[in-house]
Amino acid sequence: MKLNPYRKYFPIFVLPCLVAFLIAFIIPFIMGIFLSFTEFRTVSDAQFVGIENYIKAFADGSGFLESLWFTVKFAVISVITINVIAFFLALILTKSVPGTKLFRTIFFMPNLIGGIVLGYIWQVIINGVLLNFNYSITSNPTFGFWGLVILMNWQMIGYMMIIYIAGIQNISGDILEAAKVDGAGSLITLTKIIIPSVMPSITICLFLTITNSFKLFDQNLALTAGAPANRTQMVALNIYETFYSRNGYEGVGQAKAVMFFIIVAVIALAQLYFTRRKEVES
Amino acid sequence: MRQRLFNTVCFLILLVLAAVFIFPVFVVVINSLKLKFSITNAPFVLPNAETFSGVENYVTGIEKTGFLSALGWSLFITVLSVAVIIIFTSMTAWYIIRVKNTFTSLLYYAFVFSMIVPFQMVMFTMSKIANVLRFDNPLGLIFIYLGFGAGLSVFMFSGFIKTVPKTIEEAATIDGCNTLQVFWLVVFPVLKPTAITVAILNTMWIWNDYLLPYLVIGQDYKTVPIAVQYLKGGYGSVDMGAMMAMLVLSIIPVVVFYFLCQKYIIKGVASGAVKG
Amino acid sequence: MKNKILSAILSIICVFACLSLASCGKKKENLIYYLNFKPESASVYEELAQKYEEETGTAVKVVTAAANTYEQTLKSEIAKSDAPTIFQVNGPVGYDAWKDYCLDIKDSKLYSYLTDKDLAIKNSDGVYGIPYVVEGYGIIYNNAIMEKYFALPDRKTDIKTVGEINSFDKLKAVVEDMTANKEKLGIKGVFASTSLSSGEDWRWQTHLLNIPLYYEMIEKDMEKDPTLSLLDADEIKHKYSKNFQNLFDLYINNSVTPKTLLGSKSVADSMGEFASGQVAMVQNGNWGWSQISGIEGNTVKESDVKMMPMYTGIEGEGNQGICIGTENYLAINKNVSKEKQEASLKFLEWLFSSETGKKYVTEKLGFITPFNTFKDDEQPSDPLAREITRYMSDTSYKNIPWIFTAFPGEAFKKQVGNALLDYAQGGKTWDDVEKTVISQWKSERS
Repeated sequence: MKLNPYRKYFPIFVLPCLVAFLIAFIIPFIMGIFLSFTEFRTVSDAQFVGIENYIKAFADGSGFLESLWFTVKFAVISVITINVIAFFLALILTKSVPGTKLFRTIFFMPNLIGGIVLGYIWQVIINGVLLNFNYSITSNPTFGFWGLVILMNWQMIGYMMIIYIAGIQNISGDILEAAKVDGAGSLITLTKIIIPSVMPSITICLFLTITNSFKLFDQNLALTAGAPANRTQMVALNIYETFYSRNGYEGVGQAKAVMFFIIVAVIALAQLYFTRRKEVES
Repeated sequence: MRQRLFNTVCFLILLVLAAVFIFPVFVVVINSLKLKFSITNAPFVLPNAETFSGVENYVTGIEKTGFLSALGWSLFITVLSVAVIIIFTSMTAWYIIRVKNTFTSLLYYAFVFSMIVPFQMVMFTMSKIANVLRFDNPLGLIFIYLGFGAGLSVFMFSGFIKTVPKTIEEAATIDGCNTLQVFWLVVFPVLKPTAITVAILNTMWIWNDYLLPYLVIGQDYKTVPIAVQYLKGGYGSVDMGAMMAMLVLSIIPVVVFYFLCQKYIIKGVASGAVKG
Repeated sequence: MKNKILSAILSIICVFACLSLASCGKKKENLIYYLNFKPESASVYEELAQKYEEETGTAVKVVTAAANTYEQTLKSEIAKSDAPTIFQVNGPVGYDAWKDYCLDIKDSKLYSYLTDKDLAIKNSDGVYGIPYVVEGYGIIYNNAIMEKYFALPDRKTDIKTVGEINSFDKLKAVVEDMTANKEKLGIKGVFASTSLSSGEDWRWQTHLLNIPLYYEMIEKDMEKDPTLSLLDADEIKHKYSKNFQNLFDLYINNSVTPKTLLGSKSVADSMGEFASGQVAMVQNGNWGWSQISGIEGNTVKESDVKMMPMYTGIEGEGNQGICIGTENYLAINKNVSKEKQEASLKFLEWLFSSETGKKYVTEKLGFITPFNTFKDDEQPSDPLAREITRYMSDTSYKNIPWIFTAFPGEAFKKQVGNALLDYAQGGKTWDDVEKTVISQWKSERS
């Protein structure tokens, strides 16, 4: 077999990227799994403790399960609202409504603003509204929950809308024309033609919204920081606090992180698997 | 007729929604011009003669957070990281696709895999390694970003390179180009649309990233999100006026960037999704 | 247009590239890196660093941790190659967490400055932490408003001066009657907001809780130092939980802010309310003076700012004073180079013994220091610091030491703070709060 002529270029083409990837990701990842079974403070002093950290992660007061449940509820609601609203906006904006370009510009803009900044913007707004009823966002975890949902919608709708628009514009005019000739109503057109044709967009939008909802950190930190009583704390923030706010709990934080990773990976892969299968069917 | 009515209704809905989308930014802008004690109590009131503070909030905010240097560091880190990511990941992706063997496909899957791993998983160990290797400075951070951004970027470049026919590269090789020349003179120009997409996605991520730079370089070289967060507790109290002013200032570069590159951003997001 | 912006961006990048290359190339690390605990004096420390550099040519890097994130910041900073050389531990519990980083400084001049050597954190081997400020807290009140109240013809109490208030019952009677007359007094509430937002709740979960636990400890063992008793306590009974509730309820029921909004209030908000004369009282310590004097629109006169003890209704509180102690111990990082350690000690010695340093300490930082380098006339002159010295020198008062330095750790305090917020907002009963205190103590100590 002839050697590939490009192979000797490995040091230039791959090595820099590979080294960075090893240092920034692969080694920390493997170390992370290892450390989750140990007790440590500075890494070099790690002592093997078996699955103790995993047991501690579920102990009372660790807040892991509560934050996980909060995150799941948040993710379900945000994923649905974001995708439904974004999809309908995309439908309207692909029709001949005046000013579509301007609207697209406006709806997309919040996505570029960073999570920390977004969090503080919404804190002012929500506190301002609640003040009329003598409440603040920390008065009740429900406020924080819906605050996060609204914030997330505000941020993500524009992005998803762009993806849906691209998907809808890809549908060939002929098919839609043919449907019209056959006398299909707009509802039938929507369910039988448009939705099946934008299945790839749905896959990617679901993927992005699910993973982003689960991984949400900056927005949570800035908007509520978990208040009141950590009951609006999402998993990512819970893990961060376990690591950095408590001495001696680094191992537990790492164990939580491993579980968090597994949960996110399973959900994301399951979602990709199911929606991809739908794509093939249609 | 029905069509026109429908369009009008849609237009009105869009108009209302657009107002809802702009409203929060508007509120922040008006509050940045008010005295700090008239913000939390009445955020939706326009500044009047009594509460108008001029640029005072901006001055104190910039002073307290070192905002200008934060802006500089953010710009420096973002632009260089994105450039480095584009240069190296495009080469890596091309190599992975063109040199097909067990190692490269393993590498490819490792990159793809890294995309779904939450940052918290490697947060502690990565910042530890960065400290030990003395990457806790802006240049080191850029290197870390290369490693972290590699997943998505290699994945997107690879997806595109798969569709590029080998023939032009082979022709260029016969013409006497070495492999580096082949890549940069022949292949990369073809990759340009993908490169723009990758650049946009990475810019949006790195510019706004908070936790990674906070953990790796922390207080020394504050980036914009770190400066804003620092205002929250760094001086023992939240100066709401300065906070509003800093929020406005951190939105401005984003808006400028958006209006300059809007075409590319929208296209980049759409095509980035299609590849995924 | 586009080109202009582009070239502007490029030139900024070049400038910062040079900056970062310069910092890498020289590999110049800061000889002295002080991680400051007190966010309210962040700007003073920055000024001090400049002054020190002017006088000695040695640069000092000062970083201030955001409120209630000191441990967190220290943890991420100390791992860096350019780690803090001077940091602070909050007492025996803090020392225990950071002992791998604390240098033995028993031979330092700084230690020799201490008036009472027993104040330092030490064991049989060495000295690891030096206290640098003595502080006190109680209920700060605006005497002008109190006088106004005592002059009211139709008031329901027969107390005529603040000095007569020497029990919780009397305090309660006065406060509640003041609330009833708040329009006449021109205030919006008697107490400033009981700030319960996260990171802003230390006045309750730490400072207020100090009092019931102090009484529990001295009852448990009269002979033993209460801080040490608490340090050894694997469990607490929280016997005086109801007394804790007494004062806490008084705060939130007579507050300027509705209970449901307390979770969004910060310490600075409360101090602002006090400074602007909206309220008559606020629980805080002498460090809060800068937050009173520094607020624009501050109406309270310097001579009207006084402090009284925090009464909770525990038997024998008649001669109770205010709470005096320290939780600020300076430590030198053991794991940095010798050169850095020496430079850091030199800086601290300068701070607490040179003319410039001392001037900053007393005038700008307002510290009452435990060092013999400060003469009697070199003490802060702000009204709250004067109140602290008054209580310290008046032997008829029995001041309460700060035993909260023996609380199990940040996680415990945080949980208690959360429970208090829940209670204030109606989500929990006081029994739940009591249970949280007891069970969290036990689980954090195990």
